Amino acid sequence: MTRHFLPGFIIALGLLALGLLVAFTVGRYPVTLAELVEVLVSRLAGRATAVPPAVENVVLLVRGPRVVAAALVGAALAVAGTAFQGLFRNPLVSPDILGASSGAALGAVLGIYFSLGVIGIEGLAFVGGLVAVAAVYVIGSLLHSRDPILVLVLTGVVVGALLGAGVGLVKYLADPYNQLPAMTFWLLGSLAATTVSDLLPLTGPVALGTIVLIALRWRLNVMSLPEDEARALGLATGPFRIAIVAAATLVTSASVATSGIIGWVGLVVPHLARALVGPDFPRLIPTAALLGGGYLLFIDTLARTAAPVEIPLGILTAVIGTPFFIWLLAGMQRTWS
Amino acid sequence: MSLTGRDLTIGYSDRVVGRGLNVALERGEVLALLGPNGGGKTTLLKTLLGILAPRAGEVAVGGRLLAGISIRERARLIAYVPQLHVPTFAFTVETVVLMGRTAHGDLFSRPSTRDRTVAARVLDQFGIAHLAPRPYTMISGGERQLVLLARALAQEPQFVVLDEPTANLDFGNQGKVMREIRALAGAGHGILFTTHDPNHALRAADRAYLLRAGERIAEGSVGAVLTRERLEDLYGAPVEKLTDAATGHAAFLPG
Amino acid sequence: MLALKPDLILDVGSVNPTYISLADRVQQQTGIPYALLDGRFEGIPGSYRTLGALIGRREQGESLARNAEDTMKTITQRVGSIPPDRRPRVYYARGPRGLETGLGGSINVETIELVAQNVAGGTRGGLANVSIEQVLLWNPDVIITIDQDFAANVSSDPAWAPVAAVRAHRVHLSPKLPFGWVDFPPTVNRLIGLWWLAKILYPDLFPDDLRALTHEFYARFYHVTLSDAQIERVLAGRD
Repeated sequence: MTRHFLPGFIIALGLLALGLLVAFTVGRYPVTLAELVEVLVSRLAGRATAVPPAVENVVLLVRGPRVVAAALVGAALAVAGTAFQGLFRNPLVSPDILGASSGAALGAVLGIYFSLGVIGIEGLAFVGGLVAVAAVYVIGSLLHSRDPILVLVLTGVVVGALLGAGVGLVKYLADPYNQLPAMTFWLLGSLAATTVSDLLPLTGPVALGTIVLIALRWRLNVMSLPEDEARALGLATGPFRIAIVAAATLVTSASVATSGIIGWVGLVVPHLARALVGPDFPRLIPTAALLGGGYLLFIDTLARTAAPVEIPLGILTAVIGTPFFIWLLAGMQRTWS
Repeated sequence: MSLTGRDLTIGYSDRVVGRGLNVALERGEVLALLGPNGGGKTTLLKTLLGILAPRAGEVAVGGRLLAGISIRERARLIAYVPQLHVPTFAFTVETVVLMGRTAHGDLFSRPSTRDRTVAARVLDQFGIAHLAPRPYTMISGGERQLVLLARALAQEPQFVVLDEPTANLDFGNQGKVMREIRALAGAGHGILFTTHDPNHALRAADRAYLLRAGERIAEGSVGAVLTRERLEDLYGAPVEKLTDAATGHAAFLPG
Repeated sequence: MLALKPDLILDVGSVNPTYISLADRVQQQTGIPYALLDGRFEGIPGSYRTLGALIGRREQGESLARNAEDTMKTITQRVGSIPPDRRPRVYYARGPRGLETGLGGSINVETIELVAQNVAGGTRGGLANVSIEQVLLWNPDVIITIDQDFAANVSSDPAWAPVAAVRAHRVHLSPKLPFGWVDFPPTVNRLIGLWWLAKILYPDLFPDDLRALTHEFYARFYHVTLSDAQIERVLAGRD
């Protein structure tokens, strides 16, 4: 029967809050809950803290930015994945389907290859993602077809493969001592090096794209119908599609530029959200945002505490996401087909 | 008010399906479009709906060219009931019917009170109000067809265009849908539907339009146009006509 | 490679079974003798002896091997007076953010582990990525890096400020011309690199003239005579 919105939404909100709490208090550097509260309260009150400066440093400059980034990236990928699942009328779609990740990957490895600084690498990654999707969209539009969605997907697959070959080539040419390990680590996804200065280039595009997707959520239901039906119901599918693709690509490119390639979040979290609040997109989008943030927070906390060395996020999301997804498919098939 | 297609050449970017077609549909009447597969029925239907642009000629509604009317406004004039198909997402029946109100709200707004009132009214009209909270995927084929009909009515259109509304329906539901179509015409809507079954045209339509290989081979009242000879010509196959001696009602069987 | 018609193929690095079988394969395919030499630090003298024998320059090989052994012995003996747990705690920072490091026993930190404590040495392995938090927890006394951007920016980065090495201004940029003195790649350059490390970590125990040692090393091992200006440039650690 219909799931009522509020219980599911509250659960998602609770998971995000729990994720934030855990992420702030758990870590290799010991920070107690009392110290955490003290730092945050004194910051807000504008007075000096009573905790040692090293602890304050960890909370505000090291863990803080990383936690915020994890929540933002998780939310961004989840919302983009949800929107794309509606746009492409397929619940097995992820935000990478149009090649944003492949384009960002090529940009990033080129940045590492040319020994650019961190800003250069992230900038190239961001631009790479946008350019890849723009290319897919333009090529797809030039190929006249009765099914614009199918053409987009196929073009995305082809361009993604081409960009992947480009990444392989750059890795092949890279200096194996210095550049190759850096490229490999970047491609596996990590938030280990997140600093405060990374947050601005992340927050801007993510906020913009997410706001657009949330604003358009009322029409996403209609967009998930076949093209003819959607147009007959009065929705201008062409411009709407461009808006969704642009917003979702913006958030995906910004996320990938900050954190490297993290898969499975944009695919699994929408299904989790659907299990909580049902398939209605106006409810799904905000729920997915909260759930995605919480999901990635838990996983990132694991990534940085399970061992002294960092476990790449992309590996964890795949290892955790795959069985999760199978379990979801087994139990929740009813909600989408 | 009428929905007219004048001198239409219909088709897709790679091929032409029909030429020189003239169609007129008035409010309050039911027009049935018959013909063999591949003959252009669906293409003509989509062209009249405005979701496929004509390669030549014009479609007009109420004297205004369809091409000059925005997609949004078109949806407030003409509604589409597509063939039953497997949906991707299991929206509730109420959500599906509310989608019919898309053209009445703006891009960013949630359904209004008026929207919900209209949705409730049309659900009631077809006797499926009790299905409102159920997932669309978990009701019978006949019920789903009625839901799509309700969605179309929620658009508050002048005309309703249906593509094979009785395909995939059991015998009982076929009759039910045909009755609803007659009732809609009685309420003042102009109805166009395609069908494979001349008997449905006979029962539910006022006029029939026979389309074969992109050409109109006959058009007129169902009594005049739906004869055994015409149907044999249309389908290129033998057709048998049975008449009930008591009532005088006729039916056609494939020969 | 065949077109170049070499008399000998020389490979210095890992000598595990994968590379041995690869060497065998190439030797069979091309008919050219393939010498696989151990690239680990302790393997340097042996490699020179073997190489000398292979190319008929035994005396020279022996002399270089002896020099390498002497260097290692001198330095380890002098450092030997300090018990291992009292030696400086060093963090080796790779990459532009300085968050890639070598774990215990990794070839990248061999010379560091010879004379100091590798803060990341608790886990054995190769290269690994860590978070700033982990570095704060380790709180190294000294940071060695080869990335000049990292070395330039770390003192102004508020996230790194509490680290002991940063507070004490003990972030050292490793020379790297023509090859890295600690890593990049981890080869024979580490011999002069070991002097450099030792002087940084134990200035009292190693009053030796680094410039003279550098001049001698480059002359002996590279057959290159460096001018004073060139020596300064190398020691500065920049490109």
